[in-house]
Amino acid sequence: MSSKINIYLVEYAINSLLRQKHKTFFITIILTILIFLLSSVFLITNSIKHELNATLKSLPEIIVQKSKAGRHYDIDIDMADNLLNITGVKSAIPRVWGYYYFYNSKTNFSIVGIDEYEEQYKDTLEKIATTLDFSKDSMLIGKGVNRIMSKNYYKEYFNFIKPDGSIKKMEISGVFSADTELESNDMIVMSINNAREIFDMPSAHATDIVVKIPNVDEIATIAQKIKQQYPDTKVITKDDLKISYQNIFNYKSGLFLALFIISLFTFFIIIYDKLSGLSSEEKREVGVLKAIGWRVEDVLKAKFYEGFIVSFFAYLLGLLLSFAFVYIFQAPLLKNIFIGYSELKPSFELPFVFDIQTLALIFFLSVPIYIAATIIPSWRSATLEADEVIR
Amino acid sequence: MIELKNITKKYEINKNNTITALKNINIKIGEGELVIIKGSSGSGKSTLLSLIAALSKPTSGEVIVDSKRISKLPDNFASDFRQNNIGFIFQKYNLINSLSVRDNIILPLIPMNLNIDVLNTKLQNVIKMFHIEHKENVLVKNLSGGEQQRVAIARANINSPKIILADEPTANLDEKLSLAFIEILKELKFQGKTIIIATHDPLFFNFNIVDKEIKIYQGSIS
Ligand SMILES: Nc1ncnc2c1ncn2[C@@H]1O[C@H](COP(=O)(O)OP(=O)(O)OP(=O)(O)O)[C@@H](O)[C@H]1O
Ligand SMILES: [Mg+2]
Repeated sequence: MSSKINIYLVEYAINSLLRQKHKTFFITIILTILIFLLSSVFLITNSIKHELNATLKSLPEIIVQKSKAGRHYDIDIDMADNLLNITGVKSAIPRVWGYYYFYNSKTNFSIVGIDEYEEQYKDTLEKIATTLDFSKDSMLIGKGVNRIMSKNYYKEYFNFIKPDGSIKKMEISGVFSADTELESNDMIVMSINNAREIFDMPSAHATDIVVKIPNVDEIATIAQKIKQQYPDTKVITKDDLKISYQNIFNYKSGLFLALFIISLFTFFIIIYDKLSGLSSEEKREVGVLKAIGWRVEDVLKAKFYEGFIVSFFAYLLGLLLSFAFVYIFQAPLLKNIFIGYSELKPSFELPFVFDIQTLALIFFLSVPIYIAATIIPSWRSATLEADEVIR
Repeated sequence: MIELKNITKKYEINKNNTITALKNINIKIGEGELVIIKGSSGSGKSTLLSLIAALSKPTSGEVIVDSKRISKLPDNFASDFRQNNIGFIFQKYNLINSLSVRDNIILPLIPMNLNIDVLNTKLQNVIKMFHIEHKENVLVKNLSGGEQQRVAIARANINSPKIILADEPTANLDEKLSLAFIEILKELKFQGKTIIIATHDPLFFNFNIVDKEIKIYQGSIS
């Protein structure tokens, strides 16, 4: 077998494809759609996974809430000092945050209040705190919030309606982007006092308290201790949060799997059709080629080129379309399946995650399988005695 | 020199039924001879040709071409043997209808990956020899029956084989075209090719350029 590519053989393969224009066209379209779907699903999953991992990394070790009759109430700030007394606790930081429902666009924003002089409970907030002007009624907003506010003509300021019906006007001093869009997208950061004002929360209260514990092994015992000492609290550990995040994700990967299986299924129908035999016309052609001196391997090479041309073209096209679909058009329809839970939140942008492994996976799920499907039936008829053709 | 020694060919139809297409055939054909194999339908003519072309293997016996045992060749060597020695003219021509005359004729050369100039020289030789140069780029399906046969003959000759096998070459031709085919045969014989024709067309019988007539009856030489 010579390693040099036989151009005549490639030309013959291309001619074969062109001779069966309709069939080639149909198969290319189907393959492209399947690869497009597969690739889109993978790209979206990758994006979300990326976001999720970044989010999980920044989760606090323990969150303490005040809970009565299964409901969540504001907690006393003094509680932070009590928690600090527990050995193993490095810091206990009260947070003031909550959701603000913006009626005009039927969306929830998350308002986070930060204290100029206190340590922030999260690294990303430290950065944001340095850019916020605490002397004015100003706020920094996430990208999604910005999109929605400007759509409603709030470009320089926004009017919050307080629980008593009066208005709190806040200047928009900037848009921030954090490491993960998933959490920062719908976020509004302002001074803790302004946040309290909008939520009508007394200064002795906070939404919850974030407890930092340097030693991972101690988290469970400390959580238990808090629960025992303060029965009116609800203690949420990092693991609890992880599980609930991952549940959301698993539920989605279930849907993703369904799509995946549907694609594969259709894919295999095509393959089955191909495997179930060549048309008598194609069989005769293989016989003729053998009768005029082609080796089995020559026939198979031609079929290989045919399969490769079709499937690689479909692969590139499907991939290109899915990149455009996911990253430029933000995966309309498909995205909703994956992140349905955030419907009440401003929609976040899928971050671009380039991952050679995914591209390779899609390649191996499509191109070689299709090529095999084109070669196997030809191999079967090429290895039969060729004397059929003389009849 | 082509030699068939004690050839028997059986086809298995199912477990209990076999058809004996050829029985104890012994034939010797010298180089440059033109041989006619005649016999009624089903007598085994095509089977005989396919054995000589190494398209199938005998159930027993040997086919020897130029002291090579064709009947024992592994598949790839059989392909190479055909590529270098055999030009087969099929009864139904077996052209690829949706390819041009040129693309059909060069088919046997494709696996050889020849230099384009060499390929074109070979192509020009045969299309001139068989008078189809004016149709070089026409699709085969748009040709007349006689033209199609000339394409098939050109394809069989493009690699200058020493042996030409033809199965019922005049079955689909009218008398005028059949006579034109005879002229082509004369030319090929003049070039020194060994020619074996399976036919029951009386046109060939007792024809002066025929060196040998072999009559097959129900799988045996009679
Ligand atoms: N692949 C096969 N399987 C089973 N039987 C076969 C096969 N090929 C040929 N035969 C049988 O072998 C016998 C000889 O067939 P063959 O085609 O050689 O005859 P032929 O002389 O060429 O006939 P014709 O003049 O009709 O072309 C016939 O009875 C045929 O039915
Ligand atoms: Mg026959």
